[in-house]
Amino acid sequence: MGNHQLTSLIRMANQIAANNTHIGDDIAEAEMVADHMTKFWARSMKVQIREYLEQDGSELLPIAKQAVALLKH
Amino acid sequence: MIQIFDPKVDYNKDYGTPAHVSENLITLEIDGKSITVAEGTSVMRAAAEADINIPKLCATDNLEAFGSCRICAVEIEGRRGTPASCTTPAEAGMKVTTQNKRLGKLRRNIMELYISDHPLDCLTCPANGNCELQDVAGEVGLREVRYGFSGENHLQAEKDHSNPYFSFDPSKCIVCSRCVRACGEVQGTFALTIDGRGFDSKVSPGQNQDFLDSECVSCGACVQACPTSTLMEKSVIEVGQPEHSVVTTCAYCGVGCQFKAEMKGAEVIRMVPYKGGQANHGHSCVKGRFAFGYATHEDRITKPMIRDSIDEPWQEVSWDEALNFAATKLRGIQEKYGRDSIGGITSSRCTNEETYLVQKLIRAAFGNNNTDTCARVCHSPTGYGLKATLGESAGTQTFDSVMHADAIMVIGANPTDAHPVFGSLLKKRLRQGAKLIVADPRRIDLVKTPHVETHHHLTLRPGSNVAFVNAMAHVIMSEGLEDHDFIAKRCQTEAFNAWRHFITEERHSPENTEAITGIPAAELRSAARIYANAKNAAIYYGLGVTEHSQGSSMVMGIANLALATGNIGREGVGVNPLRGQNNVQGSCDMGSFPHELPGYQHVSDDAVRARFEAVWGVKLDNEPGLRIPNMFDAAMDGTYKGMYCQGEDIAQSDPNTNHVHAAMRALECLIVQDIFLNETAKFAHVFLPGSSFLEKDGTFTNAERRINRVRKVMPPLAGKQDWEVTQALSNALGYPMNYNHPSEIMDEIALLTPTFSNVSYEKLEEMGSLQWPCNDDTPNGTPIMHLDSFPIGKGHFSITEYVATEERSTRKYPLLLTTGRTLSQYNVGAQTRRTENQVWHDDDVLELHPQDAEDRGIKDNDWVGITSRSGETVMLAKVSDRMQPGVVYTTFHHPHSGANVVTTDNSDWATNCPEYKVTAIQVIKVNEPSEWQQRYHEFHQEQIGHLHSARGDKRSEPVAGK
Repeated sequence: MGNHQLTSLIRMANQIAANNTHIGDDIAEAEMVADHMTKFWARSMKVQIREYLEQDGSELLPIAKQAVALLKH
Repeated sequence: MIQIFDPKVDYNKDYGTPAHVSENLITLEIDGKSITVAEGTSVMRAAAEADINIPKLCATDNLEAFGSCRICAVEIEGRRGTPASCTTPAEAGMKVTTQNKRLGKLRRNIMELYISDHPLDCLTCPANGNCELQDVAGEVGLREVRYGFSGENHLQAEKDHSNPYFSFDPSKCIVCSRCVRACGEVQGTFALTIDGRGFDSKVSPGQNQDFLDSECVSCGACVQACPTSTLMEKSVIEVGQPEHSVVTTCAYCGVGCQFKAEMKGAEVIRMVPYKGGQANHGHSCVKGRFAFGYATHEDRITKPMIRDSIDEPWQEVSWDEALNFAATKLRGIQEKYGRDSIGGITSSRCTNEETYLVQKLIRAAFGNNNTDTCARVCHSPTGYGLKATLGESAGTQTFDSVMHADAIMVIGANPTDAHPVFGSLLKKRLRQGAKLIVADPRRIDLVKTPHVETHHHLTLRPGSNVAFVNAMAHVIMSEGLEDHDFIAKRCQTEAFNAWRHFITEERHSPENTEAITGIPAAELRSAARIYANAKNAAIYYGLGVTEHSQGSSMVMGIANLALATGNIGREGVGVNPLRGQNNVQGSCDMGSFPHELPGYQHVSDDAVRARFEAVWGVKLDNEPGLRIPNMFDAAMDGTYKGMYCQGEDIAQSDPNTNHVHAAMRALECLIVQDIFLNETAKFAHVFLPGSSFLEKDGTFTNAERRINRVRKVMPPLAGKQDWEVTQALSNALGYPMNYNHPSEIMDEIALLTPTFSNVSYEKLEEMGSLQWPCNDDTPNGTPIMHLDSFPIGKGHFSITEYVATEERSTRKYPLLLTTGRTLSQYNVGAQTRRTENQVWHDDDVLELHPQDAEDRGIKDNDWVGITSRSGETVMLAKVSDRMQPGVVYTTFHHPHSGANVVTTDNSDWATNCPEYKVTAIQVIKVNEPSEWQQRYHEFHQEQIGHLHSARGDKRSEPVAGK
């Protein structure tokens, strides 16, 4: 498996996080980002971004990182 | 004046003057018959409604009365003279006589004068059998012309054949001005005039120019209005009058115009806009009216084809062989790479029923939710944004609603080019005095057009939409212009309070955002006041809103404006997305998105899935599938290997062409169903020939949520309608589908989609069209949404923080490219490039501001290289002061121009709708095509060779790839 999808997913996660920073509460913001991913991302995308967080996660913004951690297995 | 659906109206009859809507009815007597009509109705129309048909020449019921021909003169008891019935309003108690000796003599005298300067070639005239002049001559009993025919006349007037679709023969003209009035009143272009006085009077396009050289936009309104053969379709001149007609719906933009397809046998002779069409009321544009020749173009592929590799020639095979080949490949891929390794793309050009079947095939037969549609790349943010704020993924109004608007804000849309029939209606309202605000980086035609001038053209910088809409809201809230009652009654309090706190922060003020948007603060403040203070204010928007990295935020920002000012839930207001393709709304409604089943019902909802599972007889996946860009990424990564693509040309229309083409090449099985070997089909392994809109039954849903019937007027050239092909593929895959007619598919849609539960073909026949929601609560549909409440109860203000796009101008790429479309071409051009519309736009060009051109030594028609971080292409330059400095513009109608080679993979944060509207580029003068274009040309030649091998022919290459 290459990295095209993962590169996109990191970018997407960060972009969702960047657009949901208005609440002023990290946990609520992370929940909002996680909820968005849960509703709109394919299973394979969620699995891949979780695996990335577990292995590295360095390119994810803090809120995105928290959000990915909230995604259910 | 708003025309409303009235089943009593015979749309095939000409009532002479337009209908009037009034609560006051009056009764008069015409030829001894008592007739009751709405106040304001003309005597002519009152008579016609009672089937008393007064002869007429200059009157027709889509134009206001003119009173020039005097043929319609009548006698009214107690009044002197013989007033024209077209210009005389009916009055209570009036007693009218339409026929007697005096009137007969008067009419014959008038006709004698007309005919004394008219060729007597009726038998060889193209209008023979459909000529109002001939009819009236018969009606009035014209038997002689006492003046003779030898006097001075216009019989030798020169014909104008310059327009590709119709001819102008002034020798036949009776100077009734119907064409001139249609061009002004209906179309709003004012390209025609009557030049000269008295005997010298003549119809003149522009300033005595040919039609083609004038401002004429070829909408056909003049041709339709002409009572003689002066303005006549060339197709009728060539083959004669049609012998039957079928009402159907146009397959171009999201306006959803209805036409009478006028036929000779199975051949369409002309498309005449249908007066009963509830979106277009008898008007049309150049595409729907004239550009239908593609349906029978020689490039049509009518036999299924297969091949193992895209480097091999195509093989023509039987339907069974092609479908089994496709099914075997797809199942093989799933066995090897897993259930989720295949997917499909539904078409926003196909019918609701066809789209529904494709997503059903994917969910039920493929066993996953990897379905997406071209709406992904245009209006997916509309679905997301409007659902989040108003609770439904759709526009709120009818098109006719604009006639009640007092202030109209057009954001990122170009209605006169992209939605021309709505554009004409909009201009009509503007001529009546409604105020206009245009927010667009480019000076679109609407900014200044005859008798219309925008109050504010806000030339915002590409990428700054959300900063702009927040500034508008800031002005409204900080100046106390909001609608307190509406907010209190109709909106969620907590969300509103949070939003108010956010939006009133000083950082959103026009003064503080001016540096981002480029809009002078005072001008923005003035525009916000116009919008907020109008009795009825409406917003119309297009892809200039959605195709941004903050497309969804912008849609929510627009909804916030409407909520804050109470401009929701009645005529003349609302949030109105102008949909690009004919069935974008429908394809979204039909469950094309990977996370939603038909009716926007989320796949994770167990109760929803259970209902679908019960009817479809399979277990459904409860997780969303891949979106189109994710499909491309997965293809590059080797986890996505097979795709079924119906009626969509992703290889040309999607951004970052190099990436898309690489993904296409990585597929092991690409099945393309289309009417032409489009760009995507060049990467395909199976080609299933599709059918044009003329060859199928079904429905399209327009931007007003209006479900219109599409009716088959000719047999499918390849033997199958598109829904039959999908059904056959499903059966080949082992998932049985057994529909006999699209009406049965609609019955299933109604069963499973709460907003469609009362929709059926019977009901559509009865009502003409239906706007969803159409269920037990609203059995005849819903013209205006959110009258008393929202589907989510109360309206939700969404916080829309401005986040700058990553795509910004730099020293290397100092210009911002934005893309769009022209009037004459449509989307990827597959249809319009195969018509005479090529006359107006045979190549994509790069429009740039004179200063940017001068800085680079570029002149009109110079070849310019356009480079972005994604790629490079070459186009001809067009220097234009429509552009603001620093912003350039092009279209993507021609594959070889490679507009999308340059666009990037940036996309909307919520929906991944690509950011077509902002690409940082550099432009330089060049002498040769780009490397990509040279590679494209080679690949194109190779693939055309593979097609010709299958056909065993050596004919010229298709227009598609020129």
